[in-house]
Amino acid sequence: MPSGPPRRIKDDRFNVLAALTLAGFLLVVMGLLRLQVVQHDELSRLSEQNRVRLDVLRAPRGAIRDRFGRLLADNQPSFDIIFRPMPAESTTRVRSVIHSEWIARVAALLEDDTLDVRRRVLEANRTGQTAVLRRNSPYAVMAAVEESRSDLPGLDVQVAPIRRYPEGTLGAQLLGYAGEINDQELSDREDDGYRLGDLIGKTGVERRYEDLLRGTDGAEFVVVNAMGKRVSTLHEGPPRPPVPGHDVTLTIDLDIQRMMEETMADVDRGAAVAIDPRDGSILGMVSRPNFDPNEFSRGISFARWKELNEDGSNPLLNRAIQSAYPPGSTFKVVAMLAALRFGLVTADTHMPVSCNGGFNFGGRRAACWDKHGHGSVDLLTALQFSCDVYFYQLGLRLGLDKIQSTARALGMGEKTGIDLPAESRGLIPTDAYYDRHFKSGHWPRGVLLNLGIGQGELLATPLQLALMTSIVSNGGTPVRPHVVKAIADDPGFKLEKPLEPGISTTPEAWAAVHEAMQRVVDKGTALAARVPGIAVAGKTGTAQNPHGKDHAVFVCYAPADHPTIAMAWIAENSGHGGVVCAPMAARVLRRALLGDSTQIAVRAAARRDSLAAADSTEAAD
Amino acid sequence: MRLRVPYLDWPLFFATAGLILMGLLTVYSATSIPGAHQGLWVKQLAWCAIAFGAAWVIVAVHYRLYDSLAWPLYGISLVLLVAVLAIGSSKLGAKRWIELGPLQFQPSELAKLATTFVLARYFDNARLDLTQPRWWLPPLFIALVPFALVAKEPDLGTGLSFPAMLIAMYFWAGMPMGRLLLGLSPVFNVALFFVTGSVWWFVGLFIAMIALARPKLQMLLIVVALNGVVAVELPHLWNHLHDYQKRRIETFINPDNDPYGAGYQIIQSKIAIGSGGVMGKGYLKGSQKALSFLPMRHTDFIYSVVGEELGFLGALTVVLLYVVVILRGYRLAAVARDGFAGLMAIGVVTAMFFTIMVNMLMTVGWAPVTGVPLPFLSYGGTALVVNCIQIGLLQNVALRRREY
Repeated sequence: MPSGPPRRIKDDRFNVLAALTLAGFLLVVMGLLRLQVVQHDELSRLSEQNRVRLDVLRAPRGAIRDRFGRLLADNQPSFDIIFRPMPAESTTRVRSVIHSEWIARVAALLEDDTLDVRRRVLEANRTGQTAVLRRNSPYAVMAAVEESRSDLPGLDVQVAPIRRYPEGTLGAQLLGYAGEINDQELSDREDDGYRLGDLIGKTGVERRYEDLLRGTDGAEFVVVNAMGKRVSTLHEGPPRPPVPGHDVTLTIDLDIQRMMEETMADVDRGAAVAIDPRDGSILGMVSRPNFDPNEFSRGISFARWKELNEDGSNPLLNRAIQSAYPPGSTFKVVAMLAALRFGLVTADTHMPVSCNGGFNFGGRRAACWDKHGHGSVDLLTALQFSCDVYFYQLGLRLGLDKIQSTARALGMGEKTGIDLPAESRGLIPTDAYYDRHFKSGHWPRGVLLNLGIGQGELLATPLQLALMTSIVSNGGTPVRPHVVKAIADDPGFKLEKPLEPGISTTPEAWAAVHEAMQRVVDKGTALAARVPGIAVAGKTGTAQNPHGKDHAVFVCYAPADHPTIAMAWIAENSGHGGVVCAPMAARVLRRALLGDSTQIAVRAAARRDSLAAADSTEAAD
Repeated sequence: MRLRVPYLDWPLFFATAGLILMGLLTVYSATSIPGAHQGLWVKQLAWCAIAFGAAWVIVAVHYRLYDSLAWPLYGISLVLLVAVLAIGSSKLGAKRWIELGPLQFQPSELAKLATTFVLARYFDNARLDLTQPRWWLPPLFIALVPFALVAKEPDLGTGLSFPAMLIAMYFWAGMPMGRLLLGLSPVFNVALFFVTGSVWWFVGLFIAMIALARPKLQMLLIVVALNGVVAVELPHLWNHLHDYQKRRIETFINPDNDPYGAGYQIIQSKIAIGSGGVMGKGYLKGSQKALSFLPMRHTDFIYSVVGEELGFLGALTVVLLYVVVILRGYRLAAVARDGFAGLMAIGVVTAMFFTIMVNMLMTVGWAPVTGVPLPFLSYGGTALVVNCIQIGLLQNVALRRREY
């Protein structure tokens, strides 16, 4: 027997379902009638005489400016010769397009290889996607293409924005560059709406702030005639306007940056960083050698790309944040601060062994850089003349833990968190580090000798040295190094918290460190860093380098009483920091604090005002 | 066993055969342009033979076997759905296929059949009382698990046929209409939220529905709680989505937001159909130029080719053939010998009806682009086999309706 509800109920339910079915199909029929009867004429016209093409409206990338609004990167039009595949219904046309005569003529026009043109045209015909045959073509080529377009179906000229860096090599590694997206990036970022031929930030600020700089492309449907020429837009899909990317304002001061580049021009390899120690703003950042990012915008040849990458000195590397160097004697500042904050010494402490040009330890003699010796000196004098023997003993007295914890509190040994990609951590060794490299728990105390004078395993990036100097100069306040000051129309942008803890110790300890660093410049190893009318504090370094001549290192800040700029300089394989780097630093300080000779009066007045303001605030405290 | 061929449902048989024939002819036409897909109709012809054989086997076995195998099949299909998410091959950004040598298999198709069997088996119960939550809740989970897995692939177009099927079977099993609508209210809730961007529209509608259906207190509390959770959590959830996830959902709701992809296809499809007019341009004479750049003109957008070449009359013929298939299917449910057979027919037919609607409404520009093929017409071997198996199940019900 059939089960379930009675037949009548089933019939009722069938009727409901049948009604729904008919309603659904009626909807389809109405859709068909709308298209095939109501809109038939209009759609026929589109189908028969014309066809619809989707044109991408490229969003301009945001500009990059210095802290005073001076332009560092913007866009310029590039005239690309493109091939738009013909509709496949006219098979004769498809054949005529890939005809060898067509290919040969186009190749001749574009001054390109026939095989290459052929390959791209075939690919475009296969996929239906537009192919770029020549990017950023010169005017002559463009004009020639325009003239013969009517005999060469499918060929077209398209304007697309490319990146322009008006200052050329200035700040190249910092700004980075934006270039055409590659296959790997495309497959990684497909979800973010990237398409073939898009620009994408590859390094530096361009990469770090890609999401904000990029903008959103628009699109419109255009009706084109049989020759591919635009007739009108299609009202079916209203155009979606492109949304430009955000403009980004950097903390960089173009004057300081330019002066740093000029003074570094003779340095083959090296880097320099200038920071405002009050808030961590990067005022300038130079890495040598450098490159011209405009080369990448224009579309770099594979040969040139290889040349840049395989050049031993690697111009693409941002040495200021990606290369770690032994800090050399500049690290004595860290050792001195560590000893003072843990109460192991005071400003006038003398070490048991006085300097006679060397120090005997563990059966070996460790030399002082000055083989004549410094005699028995106090802490301030030891830093002033960079006495190695004094700091060997200080290193032994401190021990590993106090040294490394102080260095880390000053931002060394970890990433500083600067808003640039691919930062290096440097290296501040710990117990665990030595346990890995020596027998566990049995590493020789001799390593402390080296740490005391900034040699051995220590490594720091120029940025880390500049950050360390900043924190020392401002009395221990941590700051977050950053290159972006503001982003247009993005109120959500805010400065991130510093990653390093900073240092809190007695005013006497700070006074001793500041006094000693000022003496280094006034009457110590960095006489060349003096600037008339400005009190400068600093510390020289000469980093021993197993691969060749010593690296010259110098850190400094000024004005000594109210520091507004702190810098670190490294020139690879060029000798003493006090001889090579200190004069370069002096030129930049002069420029930064006194300005052009014509502006000196103006700036000095402004500086007096700000100092007066600062004094009155202090008085109020 | 011997088949009593005269008892087959002949209108259903001929309508199906007519659709398959139209499919072959259209695939031939759509792939007659020189290009990568030329000659695919030969493969499709071979698949027809396989599909017919499969349908024959399905008809030959008594449907009681499907009844008893329901749960194991359901289990296997869930395992395969999980597997496809893990190891499946991706096409156009979605993981829907498992590769079996040269063949590709979509576990969602098996899941549709298995879920139909399980639901039919569940609802075919003399003690069933769909006014009680303990009776109507389990089938909800039975359908929502495969739905969620398929939607995650993501294949929302296919995934939604699970709830569609479930709703029809609730109805057939005797759930009162008012209750059914009330139960569906979270769906309206989500839909209204996305369309209007505010929850207040739904609140009004919901109050009206309660006033009309007057449910029992227990039911009322459950439904209110369910909708409350949806209403409170949805905006919250939306704000926590990544931009690209929001964009995907928005494109699904409104493809005009994505003029590079879906919007372009829709416009080309509309031009193709519209330019066909009443009489069409003639078989093999479709000149829709831009459409030849559509990678899916022989699969998802095949109905555009029918509309262009055979015009409104051809497109209407296809619609009428589908009407015969669907109405005969529902009719067989009404005359089936037992509860399981009727419910199975309802599930099978509703899933097919839903797929046809999603595809056809997409082609005429009234539904989002979801990548669902048109049954019997679109090129694709496995889909054809599955569709013939569905017809086989209906014929199975027809054949045994007079067994005593």
